[in-house]
Parts: sequence; structure tokens; C-alpha cells
Amino acid sequence: MSIPLGSRLKIRAMIHVAAEPIPFFWPMRTFIHHNPLHGLEHLPFEQAVREGAELFHGNAFLPRRIYQSYLAAGTVERDVLSTSVSRFLESRESIFGIDLHHWLTALMTLVDETVTRPRTFAEVADIGAVLHGNELHNTDTNLEELKGYLRGKLLGGRPIYEAVDALYGTEIGKELDELMIRSCLDFFDEGQSVWGMPGREQGLFAAWRDMANRNVRFYSYGRHVRRILEQDQRPEGVITYVLEQLGVPERQWVDYFTRELARLHGWTGFVKWRATAHHYHWADRFPGDLVDFVAIRLTTALALLRKHGRRHGNELTLDGITEAIETRTAEIYLRYEMHTGQALPVMAHAIDQALQRGRDTEIQNVLGEYLRRKTHQEAREQCGRLLALTEAADAKPALLQLSEGDLAQLLDTISAFEQQEGMIWLRALEANAMQRLLDGLDTSRPLVREKRPFAQALFCIDTRSERIRRHLESVGDYQTFGIAGFFGVPVSFMELGKGCETHLCPVILTPKNLVPEIAAETQQDAGAVSALEKAMHELKESVLTPFVTVEAIGLLFGFDMIGKTVAPRTYNRWRRHLHPEKPFSRLLLDKLSREDADSIVRAVQRAVIVKAVEQELGLPPERMTDDMIRSLRESALGHEPTLSSAEALQMDADKADAFIKRLRTAYRINRAFADQQMERLGRIGFTIGEQVNYVAQALSSIGLTEQFSRFVVLVGHGSSSENNPYESALDCGACGGNHGDVSAKVLAQMANSRPVRRILRSRGIDIPDDSWFLPAMHNTTTDEIKLENVHLIPPSHLVYIDRLRGGLNAASRRCAAERMPSLAIGEERPMEAGAAYKMARRNAMDWSQVRPEWGLSRNVYFVIGRRDLTARTSLHGRAFLHSYDYRIDTKRRLLENILTGPLVVGQWINMEHYFSAVDNERFGSGSKVNHNVAGRFGVMTGNLSDLRTGLPSQTVLKDSRPYHEPLRLITMIEAPFEHARKAVESVVSVRNIVQNGWLRLLILDPETGEVSLFEDGGWQKTQLPSHETLPAQEAVLS
Amino acid sequence: MQAIGFILVGLFLPLFPLSILFNTVLRRVDHALLRSALLLTWPQIGVLALSLFADEPPTWLLIWALATSVLYAFRLLAMREVGRWTGFLATSAWAALWLPASAGVDPVQLVLYAAAFSIPLIILTLLARTLEVRFGAAYVGLYGGLAIGTPRLAGVTVITVLAATATPLAPSFFAMLNALAVATPISAVMLAAAWLMWSWAAIRLIQGLIVGAPQPGPSQDLNTAATWGYSIGLVGLVLAGLILMGNNL
Repeated sequence: MSIPLGSRLKIRAMIHVAAEPIPFFWPMRTFIHHNPLHGLEHLPFEQAVREGAELFHGNAFLPRRIYQSYLAAGTVERDVLSTSVSRFLESRESIFGIDLHHWLTALMTLVDETVTRPRTFAEVADIGAVLHGNELHNTDTNLEELKGYLRGKLLGGRPIYEAVDALYGTEIGKELDELMIRSCLDFFDEGQSVWGMPGREQGLFAAWRDMANRNVRFYSYGRHVRRILEQDQRPEGVITYVLEQLGVPERQWVDYFTRELARLHGWTGFVKWRATAHHYHWADRFPGDLVDFVAIRLTTALALLRKHGRRHGNELTLDGITEAIETRTAEIYLRYEMHTGQALPVMAHAIDQALQRGRDTEIQNVLGEYLRRKTHQEAREQCGRLLALTEAADAKPALLQLSEGDLAQLLDTISAFEQQEGMIWLRALEANAMQRLLDGLDTSRPLVREKRPFAQALFCIDTRSERIRRHLESVGDYQTFGIAGFFGVPVSFMELGKGCETHLCPVILTPKNLVPEIAAETQQDAGAVSALEKAMHELKESVLTPFVTVEAIGLLFGFDMIGKTVAPRTYNRWRRHLHPEKPFSRLLLDKLSREDADSIVRAVQRAVIVKAVEQELGLPPERMTDDMIRSLRESALGHEPTLSSAEALQMDADKADAFIKRLRTAYRINRAFADQQMERLGRIGFTIGEQVNYVAQALSSIGLTEQFSRFVVLVGHGSSSENNPYESALDCGACGGNHGDVSAKVLAQMANSRPVRRILRSRGIDIPDDSWFLPAMHNTTTDEIKLENVHLIPPSHLVYIDRLRGGLNAASRRCAAERMPSLAIGEERPMEAGAAYKMARRNAMDWSQVRPEWGLSRNVYFVIGRRDLTARTSLHGRAFLHSYDYRIDTKRRLLENILTGPLVVGQWINMEHYFSAVDNERFGSGSKVNHNVAGRFGVMTGNLSDLRTGLPSQTVLKDSRPYHEPLRLITMIEAPFEHARKAVESVVSVRNIVQNGWLRLLILDPETGEVSLFEDGGWQKTQLPSHETLPAQEAVLS
Repeated sequence: MQAIGFILVGLFLPLFPLSILFNTVLRRVDHALLRSALLLTWPQIGVLALSLFADEPPTWLLIWALATSVLYAFRLLAMREVGRWTGFLATSAWAALWLPASAGVDPVQLVLYAAAFSIPLIILTLLARTLEVRFGAAYVGLYGGLAIGTPRLAGVTVITVLAATATPLAPSFFAMLNALAVATPISAVMLAAAWLMWSWAAIRLIQGLIVGAPQPGPSQDLNTAATWGYSIGLVGLVLAGLILMGNNL
């Protein structure tokens, strides 16, 4: 059987649509913070979290008791809650004798547990009866009601094996997930395994198909797999066959795929990302996509169902399950209750026995008794929770006086309220956070500087920069700015000695320009230690040698372990001395001319030809002349019909032809490859115009267009930690999860270029000759700021460098003193700066440290405006700060750029932290302690699990409570209202997330002092109490 | 007379199908203390009857006893109700006592062996009662997460289950070792198979009760006094086993 092209395309389209709600998962080498519900961002936040919670089986809000602790700690205002309760009650009818406002407030603030929970059978009359100590009104078995309940639970897009598991406790789903994970680990491995899966070049489905026919792992159901795979060669055909066999109607296929994909959403996200990644080596080499993934999953699922089918009769298709519900309702219901763990324990044995015996009368009897007890229990539990509420509200008599109708209305009101309660707490927390931000703002007119500052420093907008900027400003005459850590220059970087490219920009951008790193001095040999390390690695990775290696040299690892554990700082410092230092290097930043590129290609070709002649003809290089090489090259490229140097090379015509052919094929000296090389070389560097634009845009976007200091320090950032698969999550998100020092070097090199400055001057940005742009690296784990490319600093500036270093060092130590107490074990106590700095450096080298730093945890604000606004308040490392001066952005282009890139990345980071904090098991990645690296691109919990997406508990929780306060990103733009509103409106992605409530937007109009908050689809305006207006836009520009 | 003696012994050191009587009686008795008394005295009657009325059992009877032990160990794997689980384990363990009895082990030692199996099962019966009070029934796989919800109860339950299934240092462990020491190869294999299945069943029971997510809502853990009581009982059991039985090895 083979399905037509149209059907195949339809399957592909369906799977594409089905995977929409599942976000990408990037390899962890470049950890990308993302919103786990990114695929649902087109929906309003409240609706999306409801759907997301259902799809991923997670919680979208914290438990009530945690919110109550926020209330006790003063981070939630009781008045705000009260107002929200009142607003909720506006749409509800009042109940005679009940002070609903008081009840609901008591519910939120004094009751720990949810009061209303889904009830299957207990009706309000039953609850009323229990409340008044009466008998239940009616406990007759209503089979139609049962059927409806079962249809809802077992059908409707749910994979068939899930229904079978729920009826027979077969655990097919678990087995299927495990087999899928093993297959994915085999195929997607990126060098972790010593022996790779064979045939991966064919693609995921084809390679798996080959393996499935031989694999011992599939032994018990291999016959079924083979039969299924015989139906079609292509994955789409297999998918169609399986779904037809299962009897799933085509209109349900998309939902069905979504449910299948969501079961392993980490792997799905990875396969989805990988299939769309450009220039990803492993994907290019071993292709695989979600269609393959679904085909394998469905094939395995059907095989497992057929294997279990021998015992469980006909319930292996949708029709079979539907029929069973209709004809054997009592049995199916009891089975469902037993195998989903919902059966009343007191009746569990009786149900078990009745199901085993299979006698209809007994089953009916047990069902009758079970339903009576279940109804009673539901009613009793509901009563208990209601009474607990009345105790908290001190209103028990009022509850007992309610009529049945009023009781129903009360339960309905409480249920509706509890569904909205998470949003009410969230809004209250956000209101408090917004107020704190506004209270700390300084809207007074900035003082006019008489002289330029000693140094200006551009930091990443990252929340960790807020602290060090504040401290740097406090230790001397420093002015700081916030800018996205890639400094606005998307770069594809090729590191010295490495053949792959690293994208240094937010993942939403794709860099066009390649910047290779070139050694500026002779590279040293790898050295004995490196060679030894390589040998050890190979011994460890081989199949048999580890047995011998452990016996022979295992003790050496013991010393290593002791050193790393007992004295990590000293030991690591000593170890570093064993390795040669990286040589001085420069970045190839200027665009190559066509002639330059051509020369490079020629040089490479010449070198290859010399090598080829030496290897193929045995002629040593010293006997090669330039003429010989030229003629070989020209012949290989087809410029010369015959090889003129054949005689000199002692070759006859046939041999010469054969060698030329080999040069073309094996050594790739041919025109097509030369063109390809020329194209690649064409990507290297930036034209002068591009450099000018990037520098102008970077400086303008932060409002730095005049009063340049002697030093303009461009501070990239990154982290350093040991034994930490999440290390890149602590690096610069704006640099695609990499260190930011290269981006700093790129912009510094551009801004120091004389031709660039000359053109900039003509555009009104006059950088004085004595201003030097100096790249630096902020290590966020140790707080250290290290100046880079110091050897390039002009001699005239060297006398000031010690002062600069001193200032940076003082800021680092102060920053550590502020930050480290929250990382210490036990209660937070103030620390002395020296001790804190030392502890920070130890954290970076301690391989047992699961929390080297807090990273971006507790992020809550994104401020786009002048630094003066926030300079006089501590934002405790919780704010992304992007410098911006609307007065030099009349066309709003700079603001739009900030919104498009940095703000979107900030929102992803914020949402990643939000969901990892509210449900760390489902949306986060659980504890790091149980993590194992999978295939070198992800982590799993234990030896086999879904790829863990999100952040580990050590990043967002402290002592099992959220350290990160889960709030939506509170974004404030300092600009005239219309100016900011129009910018937001013009960036569609940002407009959508604002309108759908994925972030909270405030606009502070500096000309009127008015603050506008976007809420409930409109703008709410308030006036800042103390405000000095900035000079109007026109006045500044004139 | 000899046959009647073996039948009598077969009722109290249960042989299938006579074992049905013990399990039926145990199922009918609802009171935890009565069940405990039954668990303590039933095998002792068997040991007494063996010494009074029966001579050395023939080999086929020994194989039958061990087959009974294996059968109940196998049934234990699928049993989820803790009360019946206790009864099956008791049946399986007591049936295994035919092995040392046939090897002529001192009746006093046999009394100790029987007690070594009974005492942890009595503790388990009391714990099952605690579970019934808290959750409505002591049933595996319906509510889990005791380790998180009620850590003391979980801890005591785990140690008791391990002691009941002859895990090292429990007196039943020494009883099993002594039995294996006098076993023929075939009976040793049968006994080891039963022992293996006890361990397997114990893990399933622990997995179904202790691990996983706890039940929503507040749950009442063992109080301090009860925890100390159970702990002292278990430690005392281990010490008594080491002193009275460990030195026989």
C-alpha cells in the first residue's frame, strides 16, 4: 500500500499544526530561555494557561498557601485582593444571608485547600443532606450518566492505549514512552555513545525501521512491528494505516497527534527545533522530523496494543472501546475507577474480585454499592471543606440555613471564584511590584554634567547587570548604560581552532556575517597534558579498555576528585597551569574584497595541491615549483585542456588525466567548490557601511551620542561553573546562550576604527579621538570584570587603566557582598565583601555546587528608559534595564528594535522562570541532582525520561519554596504615551503579547508625569505624585 | 493416626488446600488484635502438633509444603489488599517451616522460627489497621506518597515489610538461612524461589504505598509515641533475632 502525494502532504500539515502548542527545545550547549506555552501565546494568558495546564498536566499558578505567605510577608496588599473580590462579585448574584465578599476573602486568605473539587455523582441535594445529617436522597444507578462520564474520560482525542491502560492497568503508555526515548537516544546521539546507531544517514524513520526488524529490544512484539511496517515504506503511509486500524476518524487526527506529541514534549520540542534548524551539523547529517517521530510512535503503540490484545479482547480500537462503554458500562466504569487509582479503598477488593470473576450480577451489585458509597463520600468531603470555610469565615450558622438552591449557587460561586483565584493573586502580586517600581523612580530632571565621566560602561540588559552597574556608579565617576548583550550586532562567530559557527545573537535573529578568530601569534603545541587527557578520554570511551583503565590508572581520578572536592580553587588554578594559554587572537571583521577572497581561495587550493602531489605521487614539497602547481590548478579548474607540467611531474597522459580527476573529486579542486568557497568568504566581515550602521544604532539606541569618556567599556557577560549542564542557561541570552565577550570585541573593534568614526562624525555622532572602546567580560558567577584586548589600548590611556581596574574590582566585591548571602546555606546574613568575593569564586570552581549563582531568578521588571530613572534605587538584580532616550528617536525605530529583540527575549526568560517556579516538575526540569546528560544535547531525570525542559529546581526554588516570585514581566517604557503606544502597536508580536496579557506594560510619559497601564483591554492612567517634566521632544531636537 | 497427625499439622503449618481454612478465618476476623493473636498462635499450634502427633514427614509431603510456599508467594505478587497480603505471606512462610521440621531441627528453634515470621506480620497487621482508619482500606496502588504525606508511617511500614520478607538482620532472615542450610538442592531451589517472590512482592507493596504523589489534603501521621513503640519493637525484634537465632548459623 502506498498513499498518494496529496494524502502524504495532508499528514505532514496535520502534524505541523498538531505540534504548534509545543515549544522548541534548543540543545543545552546554548540554552535558550523560552516560554513553555509559546505555542499558545496567540490566546489570552488566562485561557492559554488553562489549556496549557490541561495539555501538559501542569499547574499554572502556585498553591494557595504560598500566595498566603506572600500576603503575610507584605508582597500582596489586602486591599487589592478585596477590590478583586468585589469585581468578581459584580457578575454574581447575591445569596441571602451570606456575605460573599467576606466568605471569598476568608477563602483566599485563611483556607489552605481548594473548597470545590469536581464531583462525579454527588449532587447539591446530597451535600445538603449530609450537611443536615439526613439520608442521601437518591442513589439509584444512572447508566446513561455513567456512559456519558466514561465517554468523556476514555474517548475524545485520547490515545487508544491510554484508554486501554485506564481499563486494564497495562501501562502500555509507559512502555511506549520508554521505547520511544531509547529510539531517540540512539538516533539523535551527538557523540556521547561510543557505538552509534547504524544507518542514521537515511533519516530517523528509515534507520529505525531497519533496526526494528533486528533489535532484540523489540523481540516480544517484533512480529507486529514488521507487519505494520510492511504496509508502507513511507512514514505518512504507516501513520495512515495505524490510525485506520485504530478506527480514529480523520477529523480527530490533529488532536490525536497533539496528545501523542505532548506525552514527550521535551523530545518533541527538540525534534521540532532540529528539523527546522539551519546549518545544524547533526541535523544535516542525520535528518529526522516529527512525521518520522509520530510514525515510530504509532507503529510501536499499535504493536504493543496487539501484543496486549490477546488478553484484553476487542478494546483496542475506538469502536471497541465505544461499544464496551455502551454494552458493559458497569464493568468498564469499575475498571476505570480501579486502574486510575480513583476507586474507594474500602471497596477496592470487592471491585477487584468482581472484575476477576466477571459475573454480571455481582458486578451490578458491586456497582450499586460503590456508587452509593462514592456519592456519600463526595458529599461528605464537600461538606467538610465547606464547613472548614465557614469556620474560617466564622459563619457556620449561615451555611446551615441555606436552601438547596442557595447552596447550589454558593458552590457555583465558590467554584467560579477558585478558577479565577490564581489570576487574582497574580494581579495582586503584580500590582504590588508595579507600585514598588513606581515608588523608586526618580523623575526629577537629570543634572547637567559639567565634564564627561571618567568611564562609561555598556552592560547587557540582563538582570544581573543591575547590581554591578549600581555598585560601579557608586564607587566613582562612572556612567553606565544597558543594551542587549550582543550590542546590536548579530554575528556568526568561528572560534580559533574550531570548525563550527556559533550564532551570537538572540535566537529570533539569523546572522548574515561571519567573524572568524585568527591567531595573532604562533600557536603552541597542545602539550603533554592535553595529549594525556585525550588518551584517557579514548580509553574511557572504548568498549573494553575501561575495565583495564580503572585498575591501572583509576587512582589518578581519585586524586582529581579529592582536589576538586577539598580545595577546588587552588586545585583548579594549578590544573589551569598545565594547559597552554590561548594565543592572542584578532577578529577578522572587515569585509574581504573580491580580490582578497580570490587570493585566499587560490592559496588554499595551492596548499591542497602540494599535499595531494606529496600523498599521491610521492613528490616532496621542495621539488614542486610554482609553475607545476599553477598548471595543476588550472587544469583541475578546467582552464587548461591539457596538463602542461605533466612531463615535469613525470606522468603520461592517462596518469595525468587520472590525477586531475582525483584532484577534482577527492581534493575538491573544482569550479563549483571554488564558487562555494568564494560565497563563504563573502560572508566574512562587515562592510564599512554596515559597521557604521551597527555602531550608530547601538549608541543611539541607548542615548549615548555625545560626551564620550576616555574609556567606553563594552561589558559582555557569561558564567563559569563546574559539572553543570545548565551552564549556558547562565550565559548571555542575547548572545544565544553564549559568552558575550566576542560581541563586545566586535563592537569595540568597529567603534575604534578610524574610517567608521569619520563617517559617524558626518552623521552627528562625534566620538573624540581620545575615546577608546574597550571590551570586557563580566563573570556573573564570580562578579569579576576582566578587561579584554588590553594590549591594544593606546599608550596614552595606559596611565588610567589602574584606576579603571580598581573601580571595576571595587564594584565586583560590593556586588558579591550583596549577592552571596542569598546563596549561602541557611538564613541570609550580611557578608563581608572579601569573604563574599572568595565564596563566589569558589562556587565557580566547585563541582558539587548545584547552585553556582541564581542566574536570572527573581526577574520581574524590564525598564526601557534613561538610567537616571532607576539609578537611585536598588532593584535587587530583578530588572532588565535597557537605556533609551526617546528624544533622539523621533521615528520610533530604535524603540521598535528594542521591543522586537530584547523585550521579546526578556519575556521568554520571564515566562520560563514563571512556569518553572509554579510547577517545577512539569514545566521545569526538577532537581539537578537526578539529572543525566542525554546525547550531549539535553538532560533526563534518571537514566530514561523525557528531555527535561525548563529550569531546574535549584534555579527557582529555595528550601522547596519559590525563590523566584512568579510574575509576568512588568515592562515600563519611558516615553510620551503616543510615541510608546505607536511603537508597541507597530510591532505585531509585542502588541499581541501585551494585548493577550503575557506581559504587563506601563508607559511613563516624562513630559506629563502620567503613568499608563494596559489592563483589561484598555489603558488606565494615573499621575506620578512627584514629577519634574523633561524638556519636550521638540525643544531638545531644536 | 499418623495421617491425622499430618492433617492436623497441615492445618496449622498450612498445606494447600488446608491453607484455605487459615486464610478464611483471617479474612473473617476484623479486629486487629484478634488477627494478631491468630498470626502469633496459629503456627505455634502447628509446631506443637508436629512434635506431639507427627513423625518425620515423608519427602513428598515436604515438596508439597514447599509447593504451597511457592504458590502463596506467587499469589502474593498480585495481592493488593494488605490484610490478605499478610495472610498469604504467613501461609507461604509457615509452609516453609516444614523444611527445618523435616530435618529434625529442635522444636524450640522451630517455635522461634515461627515467631520470627509472625511478629513482623503482627506489626504489619497493626499498621494496616492504621491505614484503614486513615484511608478507608489498606490497599496497594490506590493512594501512594506515604513517604511525603506521612513519613513516620511510611518508614515504619517499609522496615516492617522488609522484616516480614526475611531481609538481612530480621530474625526471619536467619530462619530462612537455617532452613536453607538443611535443605536438599530441590527444596533449596523451591525455598529460594519463594523467598525471591516475597522480596518482589515487598517491593511492589512498598512501591504502591510509599512512593508517588501524596493524596491531596492533610494526612495524619503516626504520633511520636506510636513511632517510638513500633521502632522499639522492630529494633527489639532484630536484637532478639541476632541473639537467639543468629548464633545458630
